Amino acid sequence: MMDDMRLVERDVTQLQAKIEAKGVQVHYGEKHALKDVDVTILDRTVTAFIGPSGCGKSTFLRCLNRMNDTVASARVSGKITLDGQDIYDPRVDPVQLRAKVGMVFQKPNPFPKSIYDNVAYGPKIHGLARGKAELDAIVESSLKKAALWNEVKDRLDASGTGLSGGQQQRLCIARAIATSPEVLLMDEPCSALDPIATAQVEELIDELRSQFSVVIVTHSMQQAARVSQKTAFFHLGNLVEYGETGQIFTTPKDPRTEAYITGRIG
Amino acid sequence: MKEPHILSAFDRDLEAVQAYVLRMGGLVEQALLDAAEALETRDEALAQKVQQGDKAIDALEEQINEECARLLALRSPTAGDLRTVLSVMRIAAALERCGDYAKNLAKRSLLLSNMSPLGGTSASILRMARTVVLRLKEALDAYIAHDVAVAQDVRTRDKEVDQMYNSMFRELLTHMMEDPRNISAAMHLHFIAKNIERVGDHATSIAEQVIYLATGAMPGDERPKAEMLSGAEPAAGR
Repeated sequence: MMDDMRLVERDVTQLQAKIEAKGVQVHYGEKHALKDVDVTILDRTVTAFIGPSGCGKSTFLRCLNRMNDTVASARVSGKITLDGQDIYDPRVDPVQLRAKVGMVFQKPNPFPKSIYDNVAYGPKIHGLARGKAELDAIVESSLKKAALWNEVKDRLDASGTGLSGGQQQRLCIARAIATSPEVLLMDEPCSALDPIATAQVEELIDELRSQFSVVIVTHSMQQAARVSQKTAFFHLGNLVEYGETGQIFTTPKDPRTEAYITGRIG
Repeated sequence: MKEPHILSAFDRDLEAVQAYVLRMGGLVEQALLDAAEALETRDEALAQKVQQGDKAIDALEEQINEECARLLALRSPTAGDLRTVLSVMRIAAALERCGDYAKNLAKRSLLLSNMSPLGGTSASILRMARTVVLRLKEALDAYIAHDVAVAQDVRTRDKEVDQMYNSMFRELLTHMMEDPRNISAAMHLHFIAKNIERVGDHATSIAEQVIYLATGAMPGDERPKAEMLSGAEPAAGR
């Protein structure tokens, strides 16, 4: 009955919506980068955004924690809610929002500080820990969740930049989850990693799914197929198709999706 | 037809496995026609040629399976490409079975050539074989053209073969009741007719693969059947 278990595992239809986007548009100056995107991202689900370069997938990802606020020419319209609350509401503090909606980038970018400080930084500035003992506990549990603890527990004072690429990326994931986010955004988190480190990060993503909603932008279709339960295909600023990952990769509905995932000139 | 892949070697691989299937289809069609012809004309040399030829069909199936395994491992096909590979494997398996039926027909025709003929039964078998080979051809043409309408037509028309089998069944029963010395020949002829009817079912399953390939879903509706499991009473006492 292994097959049935697999089916149940893939079945995310029962889960609650975590993020809802309605009519999201993004302009960079004159350029219309994202056109009228509607999407519902489910809780405790890995959602993959795929599409060719410049299709708007990273732009949309960056809307979800208001990273586009930092780009002067960017204008975002439409509505995005997190647990029903409008994240573009003027009363929302973007810094607080980003503690709830964490982000991991393409290239591992640890602070030039100790492994410990890299992870402790977020909880410290957000005042999530009362005292050293509590902070130690957060650092340990975050490194454990990021599957890095066993490799670094004896050298927490060593510099984060001295780790291998794969370890650095897991350190960045530990740093992102240290503030107990509810959503984790990942922008091509494995593109600078070797296949073993990639597999470790993918395994980690699958484990994180039990606690967070994970949204991953990836250029690797194989990776989207391996780690996600839902896949969204973006093309020329449009969300072309959004559906269950198995359906997208076996019977896509839109010919543009099919052309892209099968590697055709589309 | 579909646009080409950016990686043209992928297209070449997919075309290669499909070409193998077509070659296999051609061999199977010829084997069935030759075997039925050998039965009708009592041509032992032709029957032996069919028996020998089955090896080539089996070898092609093996080659197709190997190529498909490589394609799955090296190219990770998705969507329509994945369905192409899956349907190629299923069609090759169906054709391999049809090749076995042709071989069995040839074998039985050698035995039957030493028995007295039963009326026009071997001519009826030849007619039935020609009809079934036509269905097989149509199914494979539909496969190449991704033509769902033709595939649907093949499915619908399988009942003609079923009807031919049913009347054959009655005819053979009649022969057996008329003279028990006919039983041995009639039994062989019945197996042959049944096997040709099975080839018709395989043509139908190939047509279903065409629908799966083109639409992503197997046809859900029950296909029309005329094959009788009971009530096939002989037309005795006419």
